[in-house]
Amino acid sequence: MIKKVSGFTNQKSSMRRRLLFAMLCLPMLLIAQQNYTVSGVITDEYNGETLLGASVFLKGTTIGSTTNEYGFFSLTAPKGEYTLIISYLGFGTIEQSVVFDSNKKLNFELKEDTAELEEVVITAEESKKVNLRTPQMSVSKLSTKTIKKIPAVLGEVDIIKSIQLLPGVTNAGEGASGFNVRGGAEDQNLILLDEAVIYNSSHLFGFFSVFNSDAIKDIKLYKGGIPAQFGGRVSSVLDIRQKDGNSKKFALTGGIGAISSRLTVEGPTFKDRGSFLVSGRASYAHLFLKLTDNNSSANFYDLNFKTNYKINDSNRLFLSGYYGQDNFDFAGVFKNAYGNFSTNLRWNHVFNDKLFANLSLIYSRYNYTMEISQRGLDWESDIKNYNLKYDLGYFINDKLKLNFGLSGIYYDFNPGLLQPVGTDSGINRQKLDDKYAFESGVYASLEHKISDKLTAMYGLRYSMFHRLGNQTLNVYENDLPVVYNENLGIYERAVPIGETSYSSGKTIADFGNFEPRLALSYQLNEKSSVKASYNRMAQYLHLISNTTSATPLDVWAPSGTFIDPQIANQYAIGYFRNFRDNTFSIEAEAYYKTVDNRIDYIDGADLIAQNTIETEVLSGESRAYGLELLLRKNKGRFTGWIAYTLSKAEQRTLGGAAGGPGINNGNWYNTNYDRTHDVSFTGSYKLNDKWSFGSNFAFQTGRPVTYPDGQFQYNGLSIATYSDRNASRLPAYHRLDISATLTPRKNKNRKWKGEWVFSIYNLYNRKNAASISFGQNEDTGVNEATRTSIFGIVPSVSYNFKF
Amino acid sequence: MKSLYQTIICTFCIVLLLSSCTDTIDVDVPNGGDRLVIEASINWEQGTSGQDQVIKLSKSTPFFSADNQVPVTGASVVVINEDNGAVFDFMDQNNGDYTTNNFEPIIEAAYRLEINYNGNTYVANETMMSVTPIDYVDQDIESGFGDDEIVIMAHYTDPDVLGNYYLAEFIASNNPLVGLEASDDEFYNGNQTFVEYENENLATGDVVNVNLYGVSERFYDYIDLLISQSGDGEGPFQTTPAPLKGNCKNINDPNEEVLGYFRLSEVSKISYTVE
Repeated sequence: MIKKVSGFTNQKSSMRRRLLFAMLCLPMLLIAQQNYTVSGVITDEYNGETLLGASVFLKGTTIGSTTNEYGFFSLTAPKGEYTLIISYLGFGTIEQSVVFDSNKKLNFELKEDTAELEEVVITAEESKKVNLRTPQMSVSKLSTKTIKKIPAVLGEVDIIKSIQLLPGVTNAGEGASGFNVRGGAEDQNLILLDEAVIYNSSHLFGFFSVFNSDAIKDIKLYKGGIPAQFGGRVSSVLDIRQKDGNSKKFALTGGIGAISSRLTVEGPTFKDRGSFLVSGRASYAHLFLKLTDNNSSANFYDLNFKTNYKINDSNRLFLSGYYGQDNFDFAGVFKNAYGNFSTNLRWNHVFNDKLFANLSLIYSRYNYTMEISQRGLDWESDIKNYNLKYDLGYFINDKLKLNFGLSGIYYDFNPGLLQPVGTDSGINRQKLDDKYAFESGVYASLEHKISDKLTAMYGLRYSMFHRLGNQTLNVYENDLPVVYNENLGIYERAVPIGETSYSSGKTIADFGNFEPRLALSYQLNEKSSVKASYNRMAQYLHLISNTTSATPLDVWAPSGTFIDPQIANQYAIGYFRNFRDNTFSIEAEAYYKTVDNRIDYIDGADLIAQNTIETEVLSGESRAYGLELLLRKNKGRFTGWIAYTLSKAEQRTLGGAAGGPGINNGNWYNTNYDRTHDVSFTGSYKLNDKWSFGSNFAFQTGRPVTYPDGQFQYNGLSIATYSDRNASRLPAYHRLDISATLTPRKNKNRKWKGEWVFSIYNLYNRKNAASISFGQNEDTGVNEATRTSIFGIVPSVSYNFKF
Repeated sequence: MKSLYQTIICTFCIVLLLSSCTDTIDVDVPNGGDRLVIEASINWEQGTSGQDQVIKLSKSTPFFSADNQVPVTGASVVVINEDNGAVFDFMDQNNGDYTTNNFEPIIEAAYRLEINYNGNTYVANETMMSVTPIDYVDQDIESGFGDDEIVIMAHYTDPDVLGNYYLAEFIASNNPLVGLEASDDEFYNGNQTFVEYENENLATGDVVNVNLYGVSERFYDYIDLLISQSGDGEGPFQTTPAPLKGNCKNINDPNEEVLGYFRLSEVSKISYTVE
């Protein structure tokens, strides 16, 4: 049994002292004044959807807050009369006089800003300052409305591709799955759909994402300064919330695109005590492959579901779910299917006007199956988890807000079952060992308004991970599953010298980590602020993949006897400014991030159906740093942003106890997702009620690759030699996309509202290299470099409707 | 609406097929300098004496160099059977080939290669591996994307003991390039299984010579990496290429990168005419 506890360094213990001090001070602050609290929920007047992150503000004071994930707010102020200002980007502003003389419940409905063409005079200018004041930084929010305006490949609105237009977010290239945040790996993103973990966010091996924008309300990407309520992944949190469903009337929305069709039904239910939403998206049955006159096919579909029931003013239940699947059939020779399934039952409870609680019971699963009939091979694998979590928000007073809670996740990994198919199959049935683990965490996060200008957020999470039996593990000499062969200069699998069996439920290895978080904001003046943050995160799961981009077939491996949890430390500072009446905003951030225990793969690692992953990997480290700039125009006919990131992401793996210099001779090397320069421009222009236009342009330094440094003759072939890993780069990536949306004028007085979206992806048909491979020409035997480019110019049309 | 649907889908299909494309381009690649290449592949087929053997020495060249045959002459090459002490001298043919006509292949015997060249001594150790015979060869049609292709399958029966490794060589009369496939018995232990070969122009009447070699685990790792890095992988699911480290070492300068491998294999051969 291995036990590891990472304690505080000196620096962190001073942070703990401050946190303890703040906790001790709470009771004193509570009795200091005669205060009253106004709380309630803010919704969209049109469809009754709760609004997340709407700002609530008392005019002329510094007292303000934003709504939580369920639209709930709570404001506490000394007795008196105030003007309450409620605002939310893209919505009109409410100003209302409120007397704080007793604790009150007030719900508000905001009206969507239809008059966005005229420069809206924002009276509630101060409310915007809430964002300047909150210590939360490094967070990117995109509304689905914004995302839908961005031109996309084949008109398929894509959340994951859209966030890559923001600073600090990249991926391994076109057609690659997942995304990378601030030099982090794909498996270091916590992707949550209504709090349920999504293990694979891609359809069609990475061309499209699994999120149907019609069912999504809000997207928040935390790149740094990650609040203590989140844990389990070290680089980012992508928090996606599904719509609750229209609680005012039945509505039908949908669309017909080049790739898929969508249909969403929503409406009030339970005698207006709740609402529901069912949303489906399906690609055309046999997609593009059918055209080639063969029996191959590829398709995907998604189903989103959500309903809620309001028991009374203080209790509300939510049930939400997602099911998505991809199916491939290459002429019966190769069949593959994979998908995510998740469901979440939630109970919102308002204890009183200051204490809000949510209990969630979540199940999620990712599975894949593969059949290679020629080989008589059937393969299946899955990962399942059961998650119980309880989160509470305590709006103590106008200066203090406490979030705290706990969570437990039980994992069940099935890394693979291989079975023969057919009578003449040469395959032996083989079951890779199932793995079990329990991950738990407790956290508290205190937002403290120290002065009118200075606000702090102190957070602490303690996470634990127990790797559990039933499992039998190999024992290696000196506990080294990988050994360095001094003679040949290579890393080799060690030969096991024995076995240890752990019975069901018995702890195989356990870990515990303190994860302090700290964020500060200092408001320089009415329009600008500076922020700083630190976070430490632990990640107990590792995606086992040594390809440029993760594939749907990669398996997740839990930490345990041989693999330690990844530990990240991230520091960030930023400058934020709004100007020209909040028409423009600028955000500049710099970050530095290190990750310990990042696993790396020995040369020639064999990861397919590998029962002993520990014999293929060494433990290394990664570091990333960068500068991000984001200039946004938020209002007017023209809206959009320019993002620029200057960054570096590297990785190093030393030989350590295994001996030898390490992978790539123990030198730092660029990760696959290192991009020195990353520029993107995204804009949309509303010409009139009939026409609006969108465009985006992206430029990135080419992906690091390993080019051959010579050739030699062997076995009648010319063989490439390689040396330093990722020392070369693909040519720079750039492309321009445009779109035009036509909303026919006759829409105005009809119930049925339609719109046409015309778009062209990669307008100037740049052949961006997804990869360059080196080999001999089949006919001449001469060495050549072959470029694979995925999307040339791609025009498309789609039609969306609302009823 | 329906016709629009179809128009859109068809446009998309054509576009996608056209847009995901490959082409040959010029690329500047680094030059790691010339390195000694040792191709010491000792093969023995049952029923033959195995006396005649060739070891090839050459130098590596820049990747795009057309002048890529650089023989190494003037070296002394010997192979020693470490079990019985027999020494086999390989004679310099002054064209990069070093030959012997008195080799004695013994399965499971340990051999040592010693090369003296330019004042350096290069050594490698390897065991001669046996192989199971090819049972038969047949063919199938594979229709994935687009055109149907003929696939050649060489079937063999893996022995019951786990830990057998194979290298298959396919020499087709219609193609200048040798096809290689490495195989192990991780999934197939003790069963009849096959190695396969295809090239897009394979047609009735073409002859394919199939050689199945028994190899060591370490050589399997080497050749498997070599094959997977030989231009097959495309797109985002490529594995990062790694240096190919063989088993030959300069004992005077252990840091010198020496390419190639010293292996000794029993081989099973069969010739197949495509139907």
